[in-house]
Amino acid sequence: MGSGQGVPGKHTAGSSLLQSVSRRDLLAGTAVTIACAFVPASALRLTRTSTAAEVLTSTERQALEAMVSRIIPADANGPAALEAGCARYIESALAGAYQSLRKAYLSGLAALNAIAMSNGGKSFAASGATEQDKILSEFEQNTEVGDYGDSAAFFELVRRHTLEGMFGDPSYGGNANFAGWDLIGYPGPRMFVSARMQEMDAKIPLSRVSAKQLVHGSR
Amino acid sequence: MAPVKLPKTDVVVIGLGAAGGFAVLPLAQAGLKVVGLEAGGWFQAKDHVPDEIRNNIRHWPHAVQKANQEIPTARNGRDGPALPRPAYHPMMNGVGGTSLHYWGQSWRLTEWDFKVRSETVRRYGASAIPAGSTVEDWPLSYEELEPYYDKAEYTIGVSGKAGNIRGTRDEAGNIFESPRQREYPMPALRHAGFADHMAEAAKRLGWHSYCPPAAINSVPRDDRPACFYHGFCGSGGCPVNAKNSTAVTTIPQALATRNLRVVPYAHVIAIDSDDHGRVTGVRYLTDKKEYFQPASVVLLAGYTYENIRLLLLSTSKAYPRGLANNHGQVGLHYMSHTRNGVMGLFPFDLNRWYGTPAQGTSVDDWSDDNFDHAQLGFIGGGNLLVPMELKPIEAASMSTFGKAPRWGSAWKAFVKENADRWTPVWAQISTFPFEDRFLDLDPEVKDPLGYPVCRLTVGLKESEKRAMTFMQDKAEQWLREAGASAVDKLSHVPIGLSTHAYGGTRMGDNVETNVVNRWGFSHEAPNLGILGASVMGTSGARNPTLTVQALAWRTADHLVKEWKSIAL
Repeated sequence: MGSGQGVPGKHTAGSSLLQSVSRRDLLAGTAVTIACAFVPASALRLTRTSTAAEVLTSTERQALEAMVSRIIPADANGPAALEAGCARYIESALAGAYQSLRKAYLSGLAALNAIAMSNGGKSFAASGATEQDKILSEFEQNTEVGDYGDSAAFFELVRRHTLEGMFGDPSYGGNANFAGWDLIGYPGPRMFVSARMQEMDAKIPLSRVSAKQLVHGSR
Repeated sequence: MAPVKLPKTDVVVIGLGAAGGFAVLPLAQAGLKVVGLEAGGWFQAKDHVPDEIRNNIRHWPHAVQKANQEIPTARNGRDGPALPRPAYHPMMNGVGGTSLHYWGQSWRLTEWDFKVRSETVRRYGASAIPAGSTVEDWPLSYEELEPYYDKAEYTIGVSGKAGNIRGTRDEAGNIFESPRQREYPMPALRHAGFADHMAEAAKRLGWHSYCPPAAINSVPRDDRPACFYHGFCGSGGCPVNAKNSTAVTTIPQALATRNLRVVPYAHVIAIDSDDHGRVTGVRYLTDKKEYFQPASVVLLAGYTYENIRLLLLSTSKAYPRGLANNHGQVGLHYMSHTRNGVMGLFPFDLNRWYGTPAQGTSVDDWSDDNFDHAQLGFIGGGNLLVPMELKPIEAASMSTFGKAPRWGSAWKAFVKENADRWTPVWAQISTFPFEDRFLDLDPEVKDPLGYPVCRLTVGLKESEKRAMTFMQDKAEQWLREAGASAVDKLSHVPIGLSTHAYGGTRMGDNVETNVVNRWGFSHEAPNLGILGASVMGTSGARNPTLTVQALAWRTADHLVKEWKSIAL
C-alpha cells in the first residue's frame, strides 16, 4: 500500500508495541516475550479502586454479589465471581453500555430478595448457600417465583454478564488477577503468536496483560 | 428545509464496504469522478483492540450505530410468528464496512452454482427442484466471472492453495473447485495443530480437506505484515492491517488517484429519480442536515437488507412502489444459509486459543453437486469448516453436552477441564429462493428517523431440513473420527438476521423475475447499478464476499466501457 499518503484510515503496523519489537525478534518468533516485557511490572497486578459509577443500592448490590457468587462459587478450583470483580463489572456496565438493562436488574434483584424473605425471613444475601441455590434454580426454571414474570430471562442475563465479567478483558473491572483466564487455561491476549504456540501440545506462557495494555501500553 | 445541493459528480457510490469500497477502484482508475457515501467513519489499526467484550459482545461501541438502529424484523412465514429480534445487527458501518471485521473467507462459487436449475433437471429430472422454488440459472457462467474472481484475489490479496488450475487438480488444494487460471497470489495461511488433526481425520475417511482461502496476508504484502494469528479476528479488526479489508486496500488506492472523495457519516435516506425513470442523485443526512448529491450514475452498495429498504423507500412518480420495482421484484428471491453446526467434545486439549478462523480446515466432498443426490430429497449441500480461534468468553459459554449443570461448582469444574476441548464444525448449506420468502418494509417498526425497517419473511423447507440432517451427520462422522467423545447438534430453526443475506435485487435477463440485468444495472432505471449479494440468485455453499467483489468489479468495468450509453 505504497500509495495513499495522508489517507485518514491508513495506518501501518506502527503501534507503540510493534515499534518495540525488532524485526529479528519477529523473524525468530520470540515477540511474545517482548510483548510481556513491554508492560511495566507495576501494571501486572491489577489493583483497582472503586471507580465504577454506583447505580445500585446496598441491598441490591448485596443481592447481586450473592448471586454471582453462586453462579461461580469459590472452591478448590479458584475464587468466586465476586472476588474476580464480576459484580463490579456488571454495575459499571449498568451505568454505561447496559444502561437500558438497569430496570431488569432492579426488578430481578428485588424479586430475589422478596422470595428469600418470604421463604426464610432473610434477604437473599443473608440466606444460606443451599437456600440461595434453591431460589436460583427456581429462577432458572421459571417456576415458583411469585409475581416476577420472566425469572428465567433474568437468570440468563445475570449468568451471561457474570461470564463476561469473569472471562472478559480485565480492563472492564472483572477477571481480577486473571482469575477467569486461569480457571479455563486461557494464556491471555498477545500480539504475535508463533507456529509452535499453535501446536496441540504447546506450553504457552501466560501473557498477563489486558487488551488495552497490550495495544496502548496502559489501562 | 430544502437539501443543500452539491456539485454534480460522475458516480455516487452508496456504502464503502466490501462491495462499494472495491468498485471505487476501477472507476477512479478510469478517470471517473466518484463520491463515496459511507454511514460510518474511518478506523485505524490502533482502533482494533483484541478485546472480546468490545468486538464480540458489545459489537463495536466505538462505531456509528446506524445498522443497530434499524435492525430488521423477521417472521416465520407470511402468517407465522415473529422471530426474536436480536439486540445487534451483524453488519457494521465504517469505511471498509464489515470487511473490517469479517473472517476474510474468500471463496469462489462453483460452475454448478451458476446453473443449478438446468444441471439439476439434467441430472435428476425437473421434480428434483424443490416445490415452490424460484431458482433460475444465472445470466452468466462461472467462466465469464472467472477473470473477475482472479482480479479480486490479486487486488484484495487472498491467501490460498489452488486445487484446480485449468483442469489440473492438486490435492494440496480443494480438488472440487472450478478451474482457475492461476495460483493464489499468496500461499495458504499457516498450518495449526488442531486443524492438521482434523485434516488427518478427514483423510482417513477418504475425504479431501484443505486450508480455506482468506483475504488475510500469509506473507507480507505491499507494506503490510503477514497475519500475527493473535486470535481476535472474528468480528475483530486487524491491529496490524494484515486483514485485507477495502479500508486498507482498494479505498486508499482509489484515493491516491484523486478521483475518489470519501464522505464519512453520510446517512443516505433516498435515491431520487426523474419522470423518465432515470436516477438523478442521492439524498443523505450528516448531523441532521440534508444534502443532495447529484450524479450521472448511482451505484447502490449497502448490505442486502439496506439495499432493499432504500429502494422501497425511494418512491417517486416514475416508481410509485419503490425504485426499480415496477415489476414487483424488489425484495423477492431472498435467502440466507441455514445455520447449521455440530459441536464436538474431545477427551484432550485442542489448543484452539489463537489463530484466525479461516486458518482451519475445510471439506467440500459434501457440497454443491459433488455427490449423487438421487435418493436424498434435496439438492446442493454444504461446505464443512473447522475454524481456529477461540476467545475466552466464547470458550466458557460452551455447550455442557448434557454432562454438567450450567452454573455452580460442578459447572466450574466442567469448564476448567473442557473449555479448550471442544470445537464447532460449521456447515454452510446452499439455499435457494422460494416464492414465499422475501424482504419488504415492516408495517409497524420504524428507525429513529421514522422510516420503516426491513422485514424478513423466512421459513425452513423440508428439503432444507433433510440437507441439514445430512450435513450434521457428516460433521458428526468427522468429529468422531477425530476422537470426539460427545457431540451437540444445533437445532433446526428458521434463520432470521444473517451475515450471508442473498437476493432481493436478483440478476437475470428476464425483467419479469429480476431487478438487475446481467451487468448489475437496473432493468428499469438504466443508470442505477446495484452491488452486493442482493444480486445473487443462488447462495452457493460458502461465504459470499469474493463473489460480491468479483461482480462489483465487473459492474464497474461495464460502466466504464459503456459510460456514454449508461450516463448519457
